[in-house]
Amino acid sequence: MTVRILIADDHAVIREALRGLISQRPEWQLCGEARNGREAVELAKSLRPDIVVLDLSMPELNGLEATRQIRKLLPKAEILAFTMHETEDLVTQVIAAGARGYLLKSDAMAHLGHAIEALAQHKPFFAPAVSQIMLDAVAGGARTDGSGGIERETLTPREREIIQLLAEGNNNKTISAALGLSVTTVQTHRAAIMRKLDIKSIAELVRYAVRNKIIDA
Amino acid sequence: MVRVLIGDDHEVIRRGLRQMIERRNGWTVCGEAASGAEVERLAAELAPDVVILDVSMPSTDSVEVTRRLRAAHPATEILIFTMHEGEEMIRALIGAGARGYLLKSDPTTQVYAAIESLAEHKPYFTPKVSEALREAFLKTIPESGGKTPPTLLSAREREIIQLLAESKSNKEVATKLGISVKTVETHRATIMRKLGVSSVVELVHYAVRNKIISP
Repeated sequence: MTVRILIADDHAVIREALRGLISQRPEWQLCGEARNGREAVELAKSLRPDIVVLDLSMPELNGLEATRQIRKLLPKAEILAFTMHETEDLVTQVIAAGARGYLLKSDAMAHLGHAIEALAQHKPFFAPAVSQIMLDAVAGGARTDGSGGIERETLTPREREIIQLLAEGNNNKTISAALGLSVTTVQTHRAAIMRKLDIKSIAELVRYAVRNKIIDA
Repeated sequence: MVRVLIGDDHEVIRRGLRQMIERRNGWTVCGEAASGAEVERLAAELAPDVVILDVSMPSTDSVEVTRRLRAAHPATEILIFTMHEGEEMIRALIGAGARGYLLKSDPTTQVYAAIESLAEHKPYFTPKVSEALREAFLKTIPESGGKTPPTLLSAREREIIQLLAESKSNKEVATKLGISVKTVETHRATIMRKLGVSSVVELVHYAVRNKIISP
């Protein structure tokens, strides 16, 4: 049974390494490569892979949003989040978004094979550091008052997408073109974002996005 | 034969670079290091033509490593390979003797072009870095008064960058610093020109990257 894998990472050098690792296993097939989150969603839609190895900090649409969208489009596809970051906030959100694998880039060579094997059988796989975060959360009781968690919950996926595009320097017009929306709709979303986050300027929005790892500075 | 030493703490990055490099005829990876100390030890042992150096290895001051490598092995070229660094960091590394600078997001063709150039002892900078380099170069040219400004931005300009990145309006900046709105506007235009940015969004990115503010 062939396992079809889509990889998404904005770094050519990482894609190169993943390609090499995947090619070593005859039962694994690399079916596509994406360089940003939007491309990952598009390719997932057209290629219907079994597993998507998804970098979390990609331009245009980050991996967290891409995870949400791919899970919605393809409930059977498994997502392996692949990242440098292991902050509690991010781990929680990515798992809540439906990823069943979470691998740190520092563990990639040792564990990528195990992660793909597990996900191919629809079993979860978490890097040791990530398991620890989850254990701590379970042992400490599910905390529902995590700072940042609440304000983020009130944002819609569309709003989060627009936050990323705004923080990357796009204006209302380029955003409306990228998302196929009218400029007025983008303006409405933008106003809702500012109100929900209680921020008044684009500078604050950029800092919110960097702080919450929606973008890198 | 071009012999390359790879210094990066991420095995997956070393693997990707190794695959890319070994696909080219006559190129070989002579060693891999996961820390600055290891890079220095292997550089002394292997005398590579090019060292690819990640700047965010743990307990490693990459500017110092670059400086010491250049002093100990003048024939070895250093190619900085990084996620994204602040402009100040780029200038410090170039000042320390790095002659190549590549971003991890650059395409494979640029990785090849960079190694090719450095193997011929020609510098190679990715377009974004070239801009920072140009600015650094410009500051070395004495102005009409004959004095060389110590940094690209004046202290006042830095102050204004911080306030703007903290969402202050021109008027608030003016009040805070006790200068006219018109003067703030002039400073603001100068800042945008010097940094080559055209929006407040880019200005905030610059400020965060260069640790003028925390996000």
